[in-house]
Amino acid sequence: MTPVADLNPPPLLKVAHLCKFFGRHMGCHDISFEVCPGEVIGVVGESGSGKSTLLNCIAGRIRPSNGSVWFRTPDGMEDLCRCDEARMRRIIRTRTGYVTQHASQGLKMHISAGGNIGEKLMAAGTRHYGKIREAALMWLDKVEIDPGRIDDLPSTFSGGMQQRLQIAANLVTAPEILLMDEPTSGLDVSVQARLIDVLRKLVFSLNLSMILVTHDLAVARLLCHRLYVMKQGEIVESGLSDQILDDPRKPYTQLLVSSVLKP
Amino acid sequence: MKDLPMPNTPDTPSWILNLENIEKDFVFHHQQGTRMTVFNGFSHRFYPRKAAILSGPSGSGKSTLLRMIYGTYKTESGHIWITHQGRQVDIAGASPALIYALRRDTIGYVSQFLRVVPRVSALDTVIEPLLARGVPQNEAADAGRALLERLHIPSTMWHLSATTFSGGEQQRINLARGFIAPYPILLLDEPTASLDLKNRETVIQLITEALNNNTCVIGVFHDPSDHRSFADQVIDLSTQPCQETLPS
Repeated sequence: MTPVADLNPPPLLKVAHLCKFFGRHMGCHDISFEVCPGEVIGVVGESGSGKSTLLNCIAGRIRPSNGSVWFRTPDGMEDLCRCDEARMRRIIRTRTGYVTQHASQGLKMHISAGGNIGEKLMAAGTRHYGKIREAALMWLDKVEIDPGRIDDLPSTFSGGMQQRLQIAANLVTAPEILLMDEPTSGLDVSVQARLIDVLRKLVFSLNLSMILVTHDLAVARLLCHRLYVMKQGEIVESGLSDQILDDPRKPYTQLLVSSVLKP
Repeated sequence: MKDLPMPNTPDTPSWILNLENIEKDFVFHHQQGTRMTVFNGFSHRFYPRKAAILSGPSGSGKSTLLRMIYGTYKTESGHIWITHQGRQVDIAGASPALIYALRRDTIGYVSQFLRVVPRVSALDTVIEPLLARGVPQNEAADAGRALLERLHIPSTMWHLSATTFSGGEQQRINLARGFIAPYPILLLDEPTASLDLKNRETVIQLITEALNNNTCVIGVFHDPSDHRSFADQVIDLSTQPCQETLPS
């Protein structure tokens, strides 16, 4: 993908020396990187390499043991790890969206599709019912779900539709960064292709930034501008997606890339 | 190299691309750490309106050089100076944001194979570089349709994903994508390999038009008869230091 990026855009997010220990076990260690507007960052590596821990620290779901997670807000750069709980929740709610691997964790399965989208808007302060419904219809259309299904329960949707509904529910409040944990795993390839297509269009039209945690290098190549390769809680290599996949340097990256059938 | 002006000196160099002592090794960590040296201090300058052809047997580093210029392969040491919007920048060691900008505005690259994105129509694949530059959708689509027509892709196929296209059709989609937006530097990796005669002629026409439009073309061609009409220089990579010859 060709990003529409300025030469030196100020970062939206800056992670510095982030560490997370679970007792004596290291979740992730000394992670630093920046995300600019419109940039899609992939975090790749095998299971247990600390990818999801890193994402959860950025999403404010886990308190890091050490380091900083700076978000750009209207008040300047603010560090999640240095502000109070209420402030942290506010930054996370207004700046980020979070798409989980299992839609059942990210959606309320007992309320309608429209309700799932509307709920986020109401949490952000919108009260006008007509406007909420209008926004829900528009977002269903953007993620290629038939707006006629607005009153259906997500449990009646297919896996791919549930994932797209999750994306709509996250984007309705216009966050700048979408955090995604393995959004395409568990989907059929054709369904996966549609999700990728929807995401590419959204990134382009909204100049949206994303951090995508995935172990699927083919998905990473199609969606991400840059990749970070993680192993045992640390970043072992980083660069543009084509640099990492076509000219891997580190032994672990070479092993990862050569183990896939045609990434 | 000593007597030539350094980048960023007041007298503007007329080159568009300047390779300075570039080195490239591949180390295969899982194959007994085998090290393969492809370039060991290679230098060369490229100029606007000129077509340079890279030649040499398979494995001599033709595609590697194109990928280094595009920033896909990292350069071990040395510099790859590119004139980008009036200033000289080094793609070896450039920031990601600068590489995105270089690829959007300055360097075009037609690879040997199209990396097809499922569900994206052939027309949308072709016009993506124009949209990235902010050209309005309808204007870009018009340009895309005109180019696909020149490359003999039937209009019934424009709205299909290129996933199911034949090798030659994919190659032409790839070419259309590479030629849709003008670039100061255009890298071509065997662009005519799977084309019939009629389409080869179109590609040669497109290259000639790009050259007349000030583009610097650097290409690898399987068949010398394809580049004979427009090549200004042939660079033989099999003998290092490289020999430069005029095309036969």
